[in-house]
Amino acid sequence: MKKKVLSIFLLLVLMTMIFTACGGNEKPATEQPAATGQEQPAEAPAQILKYGTDAEPVGLDPHTISAVASVRIFRQIYNTLIDVDGDMNFIPELAESWEQPDDLTYIFNLRHGVKFHNGREMVADDVKYSFERILNPDTAALGKSYYDSISTIEVVDDYTVKFILKEPFAPFMSNLTSLYGAIVPKEVVEENENLMQVACGTGPFMLQEWVPDNKVILTKNPDYFVEGQPKLDSIEFYVMTDEASRIAALRTGSVHLIKLPASSISLVEGNDDITIMDFQSNDYLFLGFNFDLDKFKDVRVRQAISYAINRQEIIDLVYDGEATVTGLVPPAMGRWAMDYASEDLYQQNIEKAKQLMAEAGYPDGFETTIAVGLLDDIRGAGEILQKQLEQIGIKATIENLESGQYVDAWKNRTHEMMAGRNGAGTDPNRSVAFFYSSTGSANVWGYSNPAVDALCDQGKITVDEAKREEVYKEAQKLLVNDCPNIWIASPMDYYFVRKEMKNFNPSTFDLENFNDVTIE
Amino acid sequence: MRSYIIRRILMLIPVLIGISLCIFLIMQLIPGDVISGLLGIEENPELRAQYVKKFGLDQPLYKQYLDWITNVVKGDFGTSFRTEKEILPEMMSRFKITFQLTIMAAVISWLIAIPLGIISALKRNTWIDGVVRFVALLGVSVPNFAFATLLILFLSIAFDYYPPVGYVGFFENSKVNMEIMILPAIVLGTIMSGSVMRMTRSSVLEVLRQDFIKTVRAKGASEKVVIFVHALRNGLIPIITLIGMQIGGLLGGTVVTEQIFSIPGLGQMVLTAINQRDYPVVQGCILFIAFIYVMVNLIVDILYTYVDPRISYK
Repeated sequence: MKKKVLSIFLLLVLMTMIFTACGGNEKPATEQPAATGQEQPAEAPAQILKYGTDAEPVGLDPHTISAVASVRIFRQIYNTLIDVDGDMNFIPELAESWEQPDDLTYIFNLRHGVKFHNGREMVADDVKYSFERILNPDTAALGKSYYDSISTIEVVDDYTVKFILKEPFAPFMSNLTSLYGAIVPKEVVEENENLMQVACGTGPFMLQEWVPDNKVILTKNPDYFVEGQPKLDSIEFYVMTDEASRIAALRTGSVHLIKLPASSISLVEGNDDITIMDFQSNDYLFLGFNFDLDKFKDVRVRQAISYAINRQEIIDLVYDGEATVTGLVPPAMGRWAMDYASEDLYQQNIEKAKQLMAEAGYPDGFETTIAVGLLDDIRGAGEILQKQLEQIGIKATIENLESGQYVDAWKNRTHEMMAGRNGAGTDPNRSVAFFYSSTGSANVWGYSNPAVDALCDQGKITVDEAKREEVYKEAQKLLVNDCPNIWIASPMDYYFVRKEMKNFNPSTFDLENFNDVTIE
Repeated sequence: MRSYIIRRILMLIPVLIGISLCIFLIMQLIPGDVISGLLGIEENPELRAQYVKKFGLDQPLYKQYLDWITNVVKGDFGTSFRTEKEILPEMMSRFKITFQLTIMAAVISWLIAIPLGIISALKRNTWIDGVVRFVALLGVSVPNFAFATLLILFLSIAFDYYPPVGYVGFFENSKVNMEIMILPAIVLGTIMSGSVMRMTRSSVLEVLRQDFIKTVRAKGASEKVVIFVHALRNGLIPIITLIGMQIGGLLGGTVVTEQIFSIPGLGQMVLTAINQRDYPVVQGCILFIAFIYVMVNLIVDILYTYVDPRISYK
């Protein structure tokens, strides 16, 4: 026994000696950065994009995963039937063309010769299978409600698929552009039970390797259906949770691309090797109310708050001026958005605010809380809102919530006021009905307005685009006046890019299109 | 000796049961749950019900616990709710990385701390002692995340250096692996060395004051023998205790350092799982970490008998 323990001890000592020896040898390398820096380009003449990401993907199944860290990866792997361009027009993707003989029928003609990454051709059966998988409750697909209106899916021939809906559903086309409706091959799903750890799509890049909490490597799909794309040989995603570490890696050229909030811009200013690319996000910053509380049930109080705050001040202080005043449909949504900035309720007017508060029975204001999440901009906005609301006697305490607590408060309506950031989606049905109709899944506030509900129902079945636009504009007017939330600003999104990375043009609805990107 | 070890190992059982119960209950108590994180804004009652059933969260709590713990006893740690991956193999591969980092950090800290500690004791109250004690105090009081962030920023700005991105295993490519691991090991090692240095200094000082050292000197032993054979060996017990505790702590995950240097160790795994409320992963990892900690302590206790033969366990 004694001998055994002794030998284990000796083994440990030996191991530590080996490690020390190696460590000692390697130490100079850290002090001679120039040498290592020069080695890298020689090793990698291939077109490799290195992307420093903030989080580990949770899984790669496009039907059941919505985490940003995962979507970032599988959006390179999978395709949808159709896509949307910068002006929110539908453009072909896997479907070459489509027609709509009546309000209930959609016929898609598929591109010929598109191949899955396993080499098999993508045909109409795959489209049918993919949507059946989404609609099957056992899959627990996140986007099931997007496609619930489908009654039958008919395979006309290998390259033609016909959807028949139960009732007219105007958002149907824009919902098809979501990755929740990605087309997946049946045999791969069945072999692996799900698509969490494996990936096989029709997209420009294929999954080569995924090392947990470390890296994901995608390689070029040589059979991609767009001739000459992609130009890169591979994309390597490296998980770097720490912000300072990501900036350091970008500065030295260890990665080509990172995403950071506006507050980090000053850290790389003056560095010629790094470009900052910005574009209008589809998010908006808001202040929400709990409609269980009498004070917030009163529309006069909500309007008073809208009059009391100065949106431009928040934009200047939180976003350095780089954001746009918005309502529930942010400006990135183009023609669907109304002009909010000129609305009377968007002009700061303390007198009017005080008067409304007095009418509502709160001449001296009241005490309340603002729950804020962990994001810098939300916390910053919370503090400014607190100051601005003091002017009309509302004494708000800030509650900083960890993300789990925040989601709990959001769902269970345990907050009083809550500041946050929401994404408006690609269809006005999402921006309006999902958040503000009485039955909307994300209407966590307890807000209910029959007139808004009626417009939401109408917008859902009005297929004519021009009429539909009118319906949603009317709904926006009603909502702005009713203030179920106070919408503040739609911020910009930023990519920090190395000079070696060319032809990258991120935009709201085409975030991470690396198909034309090259590395020089 | 053998019966002592067996007794200690048997004592592990109630400890681990207690820990597993605690961590299970704590995970139930913290706000937020795995489904909210998973569904995000798409949550609706129908989807939630699907997931509650899928994860078995509709079972009564005691049953969830019993199911989990019986499987763990059988060696099945289950699969992650979020990634649907098996927990045990991933935990083991993560542990290997953390283990390597710990050993490297420990060796670095001994190389710094023990010689400096001895010098400082011998040159007590001179300027050398002053400098060493000041440095040790820095090591004790600078938090490792601050040191790590400063180090990485300093190297990137001053030398345009950043360690290779993407972790590579030691047996895949030991050169690159060492280059990745050396910085975090230096950070953890220097921070650890502060307290070891102080402990070495006071421990050696204390022994040097004792009568038997006078005897040794009187019989004409050289100063080297006095210090290394007699003083250091006799002063080693508290140092080993401290080092054991530090290693146990490091093996449990060096979360922040791993995060800053993007090392996919056990700490990162636990942190991600806690943020996602991935119950089986958190429970499995914490249980494993507790087990390791207790085992390290046991090894330290056994080491005592070699360092100091007067100690024996009957």
